[in-house]
Amino acid sequence: MAKIRRLVLDTLKPHEPNIIDLANVLSELTGVSAVNISIYELDRKVENAKITIEGEDISFEQVSHLIEDMGGTIHSIDEVVAGKMIIDDAATLQD
Amino acid sequence: MRSLLEAVSYLREYDKLANISEIARRYFAMNAFDGVLTIIGVLMGNLVAGVNSAQIVLSTGLTTSIAMGISGLWGAYLTESAERKRDLDEVSRVMLTDLTDTRIGRASRAAIFIVAIVDGFSPFMAALVVLLPFFLAGNFEDLTWAYYTSLGLALFTLFSLGLFLGHISRGRMIVYGIKTVLAGVVSIVISFFLGVSG
Repeated sequence: MAKIRRLVLDTLKPHEPNIIDLANVLSELTGVSAVNISIYELDRKVENAKITIEGEDISFEQVSHLIEDMGGTIHSIDEVVAGKMIIDDAATLQD
Repeated sequence: MRSLLEAVSYLREYDKLANISEIARRYFAMNAFDGVLTIIGVLMGNLVAGVNSAQIVLSTGLTTSIAMGISGLWGAYLTESAERKRDLDEVSRVMLTDLTDTRIGRASRAAIFIVAIVDGFSPFMAALVVLLPFFLAGNFEDLTWAYYTSLGLALFTLFSLGLFLGHISRGRMIVYGIKTVLAGVVSIVISFFLGVSG
């Protein structure tokens, strides 16, 4: 089975645990090399966070379980890169 | 050893999530203060009534301490669990998921447990410290020294609590110490005059 090398997730989470804690625990998962989390919308009790994870072999199950354990929910999987290397989406005429 | 380290690490995480140490600290200071003042009342009641039996002072003091401990434990458990449940339910409603079995839910349950223990034990322990001279007074004829030592110990405990509060507020510790001792002195003086007039 191909290895997932990049995941971009749209999530909703409570303010606590904060994104520093979330980034810390996600980066400790095996197969994960780096994590980037940015908040793009803030409400009174919750916030929307875009989570980008890169690594050699990311386990989506572990990632989603951890996010849920931290009180968050995954709204959508916005980008996945799998295979031997990371590639970005190719530019087309429509772009 | 590893499981102990893991437990400490979980506790730290729960503390951060549920703000446990700050609330427990508040409960500790407030209830230890209550405990000492209540025992001052018990001691003064016995003193002005002329009770000269260490056993009677200890049994009234200990039963009062146990009642305070149970009151603290039950009260904190019920109020904290009600407050925490409401907070968790509110976030769960916004998130559209049940957060009971997440780190937030577990931190919330740990907070209820720890805060209830602190709330129950702080007045109980503070009262026990004040009653200490009466545990040693069984063999003596005159208990006047035990009363005065206990009252002195009560004022010292109040002063220490004041220093603790001053340390937390990063204010002038001595001022906090004097304020808490003053409460004890006021309580002793009023009880004394009530006893004299009665």
